[in-house]
Amino acid sequence: MYDPQATRLVETALRCYPARWRRRHGDEAAELAALLIRDGTPAGSIAWSYLAGAARAWLTPRPGRPLSTVACALLVAACSLGVSAGLLAPAASARTASTSQAHGSTHCRPGSPAPVPGVIPAMGRPQVIIWEAGHGRSC
Amino acid sequence: MAVSRRDGGVGQDVLRRVGEASVLILISLAGGHKHGYALIQDIKELADVELGPGTLYGALDRLERLGLIEPLPAEDRRHPYRITAPGAAALRVHLDSLERVSAAGRLRLQLGGI
Repeated sequence: MYDPQATRLVETALRCYPARWRRRHGDEAAELAALLIRDGTPAGSIAWSYLAGAARAWLTPRPGRPLSTVACALLVAACSLGVSAGLLAPAASARTASTSQAHGSTHCRPGSPAPVPGVIPAMGRPQVIIWEAGHGRSC
Repeated sequence: MAVSRRDGGVGQDVLRRVGEASVLILISLAGGHKHGYALIQDIKELADVELGPGTLYGALDRLERLGLIEPLPAEDRRHPYRITAPGAAALRVHLDSLERVSAAGRLRLQLGGI
């Protein structure tokens, strides 16, 4: 029985494998998944198994890709996450500060602290910043 | 871990750390060459274990890297594998080791009267 949703789910999981793996096993793996689904195995469990396998395939060192390369890739990923977290943390504290100021007054006050360069504006609520004679007003 | 063999030699139990899936695949291939789906079906019958397809391909790649199995020419989209001579030797060493542990366990249960 052909179930397009199940097929799409498995195909998505198979796309997570490295290209060299897909070239070698991709067609057979898709056919195997179709046979297992036909036998009654849930598509979700097959997709999950392939996802876990894809993670292992990326992390397993192979000839020509020494362990140090894998370690470097993990380090770069960790650093990217760290930088993202570092950028989001000041944004969150800036949002908290602006919220507490807004609660303290009912109108925009001239002379409010200028926005800090490099800080990402708080997400979820549009922030209007008016620049006036060198002073920033945040509403 | 080095284990003594029946012939008095010492063999390396390379399968000790490869996981249950790899051992089951080798046992299945010891009965003749098979492709992925046939392996999953055979292992389900043989050991009542349902191997996930991701686990299967991971184990096949690992066993091939270790030289314990080898791929045969593809049949349509299917890639059959067969056990190699080193693979058969490694499986023998591992099964001998399991037999000794199993016998020791049974003996201790018997002596302990449990």
